[in-house]
Amino acid sequence: MAAPASTTAPDPLDRYSRQVRFPALGEDGQRALMNSRVTLCGCGALGTVLANHLARAGVGHLRIIDRDFIETHNLQRQILFDERDVADNLPKAEAAARKLRLINSTIEVEPVVTDLDHTNALDLMGDADLILDGTDNFETRYLINDAAVKLNKPWIFGGVIGSEGQTMTILPGETPCLRCVIETAPPPGMTPTCETAGVLGPAVAVIASFEAVEAIKLLAGKKEALNRDLIMVDLWDWTFRQLKVSGLFGRVDCPCCKHRKFDWLEGEAGSHTTALCGRNAVQVASRRPEPLKFPEMADRLKALGDVRHNAFMLRFATEGYEFTVFPDGRAIIKGTNDIAKAKTLYAQFVGA
Amino acid sequence: MIYLDNAATSFPKPEAVYRELDRFARTSLANPGRAGHRMAMAAEKTLDDVRHALNQFFRGDAPERWAFTLNCTDALNMAIKGVLNDGDHVVLTDLEHNSISRPIRALEKAGRITATRVVSRDGYVAAEDVAAAITPKTRLVAMTHASNVLGTVQPIEAIARAVRASGALLLIDAAQSAGVVPIDLKATPIDFLALPGHKGLYGPTGTGALYAGPRADDVIRAWREGGTGGDSSSELQPSLRPYFLEAGSPNVLGVAGLGRGIAWVAERGPDALRKHEVELLQQVVDWADRSEGWRVAGLWDPERHAGALSLFTPEGISPQELAGILDVSFDIAVRPGLHCAPYIHRNLGSFPDGLLRLSPSPFTTADDVAQCLEALTAITAGVM
Repeated sequence: MAAPASTTAPDPLDRYSRQVRFPALGEDGQRALMNSRVTLCGCGALGTVLANHLARAGVGHLRIIDRDFIETHNLQRQILFDERDVADNLPKAEAAARKLRLINSTIEVEPVVTDLDHTNALDLMGDADLILDGTDNFETRYLINDAAVKLNKPWIFGGVIGSEGQTMTILPGETPCLRCVIETAPPPGMTPTCETAGVLGPAVAVIASFEAVEAIKLLAGKKEALNRDLIMVDLWDWTFRQLKVSGLFGRVDCPCCKHRKFDWLEGEAGSHTTALCGRNAVQVASRRPEPLKFPEMADRLKALGDVRHNAFMLRFATEGYEFTVFPDGRAIIKGTNDIAKAKTLYAQFVGA
Repeated sequence: MIYLDNAATSFPKPEAVYRELDRFARTSLANPGRAGHRMAMAAEKTLDDVRHALNQFFRGDAPERWAFTLNCTDALNMAIKGVLNDGDHVVLTDLEHNSISRPIRALEKAGRITATRVVSRDGYVAAEDVAAAITPKTRLVAMTHASNVLGTVQPIEAIARAVRASGALLLIDAAQSAGVVPIDLKATPIDFLALPGHKGLYGPTGTGALYAGPRADDVIRAWREGGTGGDSSSELQPSLRPYFLEAGSPNVLGVAGLGRGIAWVAERGPDALRKHEVELLQQVVDWADRSEGWRVAGLWDPERHAGALSLFTPEGISPQELAGILDVSFDIAVRPGLHCAPYIHRNLGSFPDGLLRLSPSPFTTADDVAQCLEALTAITAGVM
């Protein structure tokens, strides 16, 4: 005979007892977390740390968007993945979801293996209480910013390269948006990326943890505790800066949050158009062509693979891919037929 | 900019075409329809005038045999899907653009038809080989007049006679030849002639036409059905030509521009225009002969050539890279790759990277071509 279920059912709050006892969060905060929905954009280094924290903290619904598959060099910092996931050739979103369900079976995890772009951004973010940035490029961050401002939803920006990281919480209508602070992305080829400049796992974990705490405050309804500045840290030099950007709110002639021009969301500014060319090659072209400086680019890339350039083109070979980059930022990437993969490679090695 | 991609679409257009597009858009851009109002009737008259112009230019059987289409692909689909029935056999060649090979391959893969692909040699198809491929079940021979990759002009007069003798229908894809190589429908028994309006006839993009000769009258089905501007009470597509094939609002603005383009070509004559383009290509051929690593694809015979030519590129640099550099560093527009014609590239051994295609127009000068060749020389001198 079965025992009456009602007397043995555990209190769903029990597993969170240690954080419920934290007075600033409390039981009401925990219940709010459990009823909240988060869209996490990107499940790499930042994304896995974020997802890990939020799943353990009991965020009720986690949607994880990432189109990439796990590679061995991800394991150095992407904490939800292991060697078996690499061997199984799993998409990051799917592997993360499997791991998170083992960590916390009481929450819903929804993996979405897709390229986040202007056609699907509103759908993937529309039902979220909060959007989190786990991406590796400015292109997608501006898209998130557009969508968040348009939907009037908070989002948390985070980015890490080397031992340095930045994060900022954006509350549309209350704090400056990403474009108020950084109006346009740097041109391709001119900025370091994790592929070219490297990245330390703990630095990512620090920034992702900052983001996660802010996320918990927001979802728990403790907005008064949020940090409204741009935080910049360098773990190697041990510097910590808090840039007072909150004063910019309403004072910047921002195309996005003031004029409500959603250039990335409308597909106007998304800088890359692509076309298949030949077998196993994709052309990625910048929509705002800017002259590249090949010698500087070559310097950044030379440690990663064979790189040569002349006045007309820069050729770079790495990890089985061959890049031919033209002076206006256009690139032919050989070694893939997958447009989304080519865009990722472009963002990683040419920059965006 | 130096534009050498006229095989894709011609640029620039004659001044008269630009002027007519502007004038027509400002004064006459109604939806053509029989009856209605004066502007609609004037628009209808424009369609009619250009039908007459096409019929005269290509010496067709009657103006109403010309249906306006969106482009040449649309015209080819209209003919292919309009006449083929289950169990039919089709003959095509390895020179075809995907606009012929894909619809036929799709029907073939669905098990509805069978097809034979005649193999070209040096860019030319032999009439005997086409004749030999025809079987009693052959319903349609569909082939290009001039290869869009190589520019080689096919012996369609001899082929047309052989097809007619067999009883099959002949569909000619004049994408690269209309306006450049004379086509005489009275002298050559062609059942369907599909052409773009925006290449050698100098209309805007979004224009094309299909000529459907008398032998197609009882067999062709309307591939597109819908409003025709008249006989609205009929439950089915009205059989009256040319409206039968022309359902939906036509691109009357484009056709108005096309009319001026046809007049411009007719005034000069295709022979003179072709001669100019072939002379420019001769420059390319001579340069390729003396340049290390470069080779003209297919046989170069200036007497049997339209205004396009493709080159094998030297080792160490791909056609895509060359085209990218020409564009970014020299502002020269050319077309690399497979040119939507994969079978001929397999035949030539240039699959999958393709070739580099140069296609001049009557507006291209010898100096333009010389600049392009100098640029190619400079680029390949520095190949890493």
